[in-house]
Amino acid sequence: MRWLLLPLLLLAACSKGPEADLPYISQARSLAAEWALINEQASQGKLTPTYIETMRKSVREQLQTSAKALSEPQSGYAKEIQAVLKEPDGARPEELRAHAARLKQVEDSLESA
Amino acid sequence: MNPLELTLGIMTAVGGFVDISELVFAAKAGSMFGYALIWAFVLGTIGMSVFGEMSGRVAAIAKQPVFNLMRHRLGLKLGLVTLIGSLISTLITCAAEVGGMALILNYLTGLPYPLLAVASVIVVSASMWVLPFKWIERTYGLLGLMMIVFAVAVVAIHPPWAKLIGGAVPQVPSGLSSKELLNYSYFIVAILSAVLFPYESYFYSSGGIEEGWGAKDLLTNRVTCTVGFGLGSLLAISILAASAQLFGPLNVGPEIPGTSALEAAIPFGRVGLMLALLGMLFAVAGAAVETCMSNAYAVSQFFGWEWGRHAKPWEAPRFTLAWIAVMLLALLIVLTGVDVMSLVEYAVLFSIIVLPLTYLPLMLLANDKSYMREHANKWLAKGLGWLFFVIVTCAAIAAIPLYLLTSGGSG
Amino acid sequence: MSALGHLKIVSQLLDLPIIDKDERSCGIVDDVELEGRPGKEMKVAALLVGPGAYDGRMPAWLLWLTRQIAGDRMARVPADQIDEIGAVVKLKSCGEDLGLHQVEDKVRAWIPRKGAL
Repeated sequence: MRWLLLPLLLLAACSKGPEADLPYISQARSLAAEWALINEQASQGKLTPTYIETMRKSVREQLQTSAKALSEPQSGYAKEIQAVLKEPDGARPEELRAHAARLKQVEDSLESA
Repeated sequence: MNPLELTLGIMTAVGGFVDISELVFAAKAGSMFGYALIWAFVLGTIGMSVFGEMSGRVAAIAKQPVFNLMRHRLGLKLGLVTLIGSLISTLITCAAEVGGMALILNYLTGLPYPLLAVASVIVVSASMWVLPFKWIERTYGLLGLMMIVFAVAVVAIHPPWAKLIGGAVPQVPSGLSSKELLNYSYFIVAILSAVLFPYESYFYSSGGIEEGWGAKDLLTNRVTCTVGFGLGSLLAISILAASAQLFGPLNVGPEIPGTSALEAAIPFGRVGLMLALLGMLFAVAGAAVETCMSNAYAVSQFFGWEWGRHAKPWEAPRFTLAWIAVMLLALLIVLTGVDVMSLVEYAVLFSIIVLPLTYLPLMLLANDKSYMREHANKWLAKGLGWLFFVIVTCAAIAAIPLYLLTSGGSG
Repeated sequence: MSALGHLKIVSQLLDLPIIDKDERSCGIVDDVELEGRPGKEMKVAALLVGPGAYDGRMPAWLLWLTRQIAGDRMARVPADQIDEIGAVVKLKSCGEDLGLHQVEDKVRAWIPRKGAL
């Protein structure tokens, strides 16, 4: 049965680490950017209060789901996602976009690795 | 051909074209790949027009819907495999539509999602109980025309028209990494699946029987499938194009279905937002009705039960119980808390796998002169039909590997 | 095509929908009963309709599952009740007279007769 060990070890290695977290980093990047866009449009009076509130709530819930799913909770990108979650509901779009940009850099470096 | 009936039929097809899967994948495709996947929508729409026209023609001439004749062609065993596969994929799609309705109502009202899911099922079921077939179809299709705000929004944001139109040509963007290429391939398969959902053929052909189509309605059938579906597809392409212009440069995925409504809010403010949300609501509600009835049609026709909403609910009792059961099962799936986006992913995955088994009997039937007489497929329908059959078969084979390799298009 | 003359049982009869003289759906041709002897002409004696007719047409495990869900009822439609065979099998009589609507009628009792336009 020892011949099974190597493929199983390889499989285990593949299911952890930054590469495995790539979908969640990508989701978090998008969610931060969506939040920024919502806040930007809200500040211009283009959205209804109900839409703003429900969308912000959805963004937070999904960010929390992404954060919990990470296999490397102490990594730099995990801390970045936690930093997004700490932002207030009405955070400045520029701040949120800065978070999204940093997560995008992580995404790009993992994709090209 | 009654011009008013034809116009209403086209408008219904336009308003009823987009469902939650097309909404999600159009927005994501635009953000990730710009205008480069417009051709996938064009290709899928041509395929849908080809198979839709065939299924309407079979209904009008053979006077039997696709599933009746499909069992006869495939036999009991293979027919059961097709039936079960189709029931599962359409049930998941129905659940995605019900979840989509609840989400959109949440954005409109702020009320809790589970409560809105229950309310959605009650209202949609009530409409299916009370209204005869024609008015079920027309109500949702015509109200779904509010989605036109997305097309108007695209014009208002002044996209690069040359690039947009260029996106209609099949292409592979240059400079994609191997991961991005896999994602691109996955999106092609997902878009084809979302446009060519099997339930659309079952619903369309059964609808033709419900409306008593005959040889005199063949032109109506052809015009609805080409003009109606074509214009409907423009709404999906509008969502893609606006996403390419507005979301892509800002790193927005989007991950939340409600974000698509911003495409109309950005140029038009609150009015645009409301029209977009209401249009999405009725389009998705219409799709919930279609998927639910499609499953009830499929099982009723397969076992030879009385079926149809041209009859009162008690005149086709097993059909009535079947659609009620489908709605309740869809609601149960939604109430388990599974994410709507995940349901959409599973729906497109299962549907593309079932598609070849759906379209093969339809092709064989539409070619068969003993059923279709002088209205059997001529060279163009035959050629296009077989071409698209090969395309959907290739897509079906590639679907699961691509889904696994790309984590559902996200990595 | 009429009910008389030669026909191919699998491609022209089996799994066809059945409608009665009132154009109501009455099930599917789930199996066919033949009469005749080896070396003699075979004739269709009856159509068999219902899950009880699935025996031999599906694997044993699937047959067992089907029986658990749908039971094993079967209706027998004598060949002389067949009016025409084409895209569907058309019958000369009403489905009720041949025992083809029993389940539909039982289920109908559960459906309220109200509210539909």
